[in-house]
Amino acid sequence: MWYKPILWISLLLLWPPERTRWVIAENSSLSVNGSTNINKFSCEIPSYDQTDTLTVSRKSKEVALTGNVGLKIITFDCHNSMMTRDLRKTLKESQFPRLYIRFLSLSEMPQLRPEPQQVTGWVNIELAGATKRLEINYQVSMDDQKVIHLLGSRNINFSDFNLVPPRKLGGMIKTNDQLTVAFHLRMSAVN
Amino acid sequence: MSGDVFFNSSTMKKILISGFITGCILFVCSYGGLYLAVRFFPALFTEYNNPLFNSDGNRDLLFYLHAFIFSFALAWFWDRFKSLFKGPFLLKGIEFGLVYSIVALLPVMWISFSALDVTIAMVLSWFGYGLMQAIVAGIILAKINP
Repeated sequence: MWYKPILWISLLLLWPPERTRWVIAENSSLSVNGSTNINKFSCEIPSYDQTDTLTVSRKSKEVALTGNVGLKIITFDCHNSMMTRDLRKTLKESQFPRLYIRFLSLSEMPQLRPEPQQVTGWVNIELAGATKRLEINYQVSMDDQKVIHLLGSRNINFSDFNLVPPRKLGGMIKTNDQLTVAFHLRMSAVN
Repeated sequence: MSGDVFFNSSTMKKILISGFITGCILFVCSYGGLYLAVRFFPALFTEYNNPLFNSDGNRDLLFYLHAFIFSFALAWFWDRFKSLFKGPFLLKGIEFGLVYSIVALLPVMWISFSALDVTIAMVLSWFGYGLMQAIVAGIILAKINP
């Protein structure tokens, strides 16, 4: 039995887990689409102000995707100043200035080809002080300039994060609970 | 024309009853009209997606009581000044609504537009809405409390 740890260490040294690091570029973006009973709205965070890194590593069948993206709520732009301020207020920007996407896993190791590859993965989304674990549908591809594109989208509800969708004029104008969050991370691989 | 206006019980009763009846009719007209306007002219209401307007529903009761607050105030105003309005009840009601709108509503709309981040279209719609409410209330009050 004494030899087992040595055996494992030797195996790890001989076949280390496949690991890649992806650096997120500034031109990454996130959008939130929602609707009220009178209109639809689309709010965007058009660029990412940090240089964060995601790490993809494979150990046997399991693919771990680790790293965080922290987006400033104040950078949301709904193309209408009143609506922008309303969204920021609804998301409690003054108390919780950032929305975090914490990456956890991928269903398979991305092949990084020009053709988009469909994969799924788990993330924790932290919004307004509440965290929700969600499965995301991704499209992963790599273009000619070696830029990795990770597109993710998911329907979420205001109520998942203990937020109340805005209602105006005694409830005559109501925002629907469901939102579609979509993000597009542009990344470059580093070793 | 003294403090009797406030303390005479029969006058108060008349004001309260006419105010309540007017409030009920105005409630249906105002919120029914607003509901239909939101449904059929949604583009006019997109500007209400603005943090200036209460959005968590904790003041909904106050919002829906507005028709009654408005009606009781106008019922008192009508009872006090009705002798100044001449002609058939319809004309009296319209004149009363116009008087109220010029005396009270116009200055309030003026200060609202100057102090709040709202559009001229929004303020004009409030003025029009208030004017219509005052004319409807005036006609009802002229009819039930001649």
